[in-house]
Amino acid sequence: MTATDPFSIELLTNYLLVGAALFALGMLGFISRRNLIVMFLSAEMMLQGVALSLVAFGRFHGNWTGQVFTIVILTVAACEASIAMALVVVLFNRKSSLDVTLWQDVREAGVEATDLADEAAEAAPLGVSDGPETYPTLTPAGIEPAHPIQPWTERRR
Amino acid sequence: MTDASFILATLGVLLGATGTYLLLPHRRGEAKARTLYILGGTFAALGLLGFLLLLTPPALSPLADLIAGSFFYLFAAGALGCGVMTVTSRNPVYSALWFAGVVISTAGLFLLIDAQFLAAGTIIVYAGAIIVTFLFVIMLAQMEGKAVYDRAARSPGRAVFTCFLLLWSLAYSLAALPGSHRPKEIVAGEDRLHRGRELGADFFPQSPGAVPRVVLGKALRPTSSLFVDGDPSKPKPNVAGLGESLYADHLLTVELAGSILFAALIAAVLIANPRPIGGAGKAA
Repeated sequence: MTATDPFSIELLTNYLLVGAALFALGMLGFISRRNLIVMFLSAEMMLQGVALSLVAFGRFHGNWTGQVFTIVILTVAACEASIAMALVVVLFNRKSSLDVTLWQDVREAGVEATDLADEAAEAAPLGVSDGPETYPTLTPAGIEPAHPIQPWTERRR
Repeated sequence: MTDASFILATLGVLLGATGTYLLLPHRRGEAKARTLYILGGTFAALGLLGFLLLLTPPALSPLADLIAGSFFYLFAAGALGCGVMTVTSRNPVYSALWFAGVVISTAGLFLLIDAQFLAAGTIIVYAGAIIVTFLFVIMLAQMEGKAVYDRAARSPGRAVFTCFLLLWSLAYSLAALPGSHRPKEIVAGEDRLHRGRELGADFFPQSPGAVPRVVLGKALRPTSSLFVDGDPSKPKPNVAGLGESLYADHLLTVELAGSILFAALIAAVLIANPRPIGGAGKAA
């Protein structure tokens, strides 16, 4: 070692902390969200945290291995995204919903199912959704027409 | 780990956990009050601030270090804030767009640690290909209005507890790493994390000098080093050095990555292709 590397261990710890926080946030999204697509986005976020840690370690040890491994992670992430999206399309065609709790019947034997879908069906709608479903308030005149299906009742099965 | 940074880490993680729990959807999909969102956002921002205070501040003396340090704080805050918004957004389209923010911030962090090729590659592959694929599938599979499974989370309390406990323990063990967050007089001695080629001295403690250098010279080729002759003041050009290492030391990895991509291509076509139910055997 002829000269000291400016990338000190304090800098390495900074990058590792940010990578750990990204990993924990991705894990939180993967555990707690019910939309299949958001779950896969969270898994990609975990991969980002790991890639950041790998590149920082490679920079600290002064070799290219971290960056090479991150390129491999990029490849695997691209493959995973393509296959996952194909699976999501197939699953959506089966049940016309992206809810992951609808697929609890493929669980392991001995694990009890949670009926989150029934619980959620009792929930109140999330306010008034702005969009084509909202109507201007006019002076009522004539016979009231039949209202279309409300948006929060469309996908409730 | 000093007591002050320990308390800071615990406070930051607790505040962040509370804020994220308040921002997450309700368990049964009930609507939350606006004040709860504002409170959650404030708590999450305070937790993020505490987490950023936990990081070692950059050196102030050369202007370049100061600028690099401030950009590090900017990108770290951007990555973590966009990450929280990705996880807590009710609309999956917004989730995908916030995730693009995470990817761009991570690419900025890659730039700061001399990984320019990876910064460009991450943006091209993630923000350019994966996010667009996600958005296509969201458009394909999205209904009007907000679905009930987007408004409801799966046991958010326990999930937040688990993940922030993981984050706290990771931060604790990282801060207990030799050489970081410790008084300087301890760092000055042997008690620090060894790096790179110094590792050889650990394996051959009885004969320092020639033997480790020969063994390491065979094990670690010169193409695998970030610097010319291992001298940190002479860095190799990024793309040339990375390509040299990729195609000299890791040639089999490149071939394997290509095979994985090809297999994934075939698998995606086979899975997503609609086939008639029951007539699959005859059609194939």
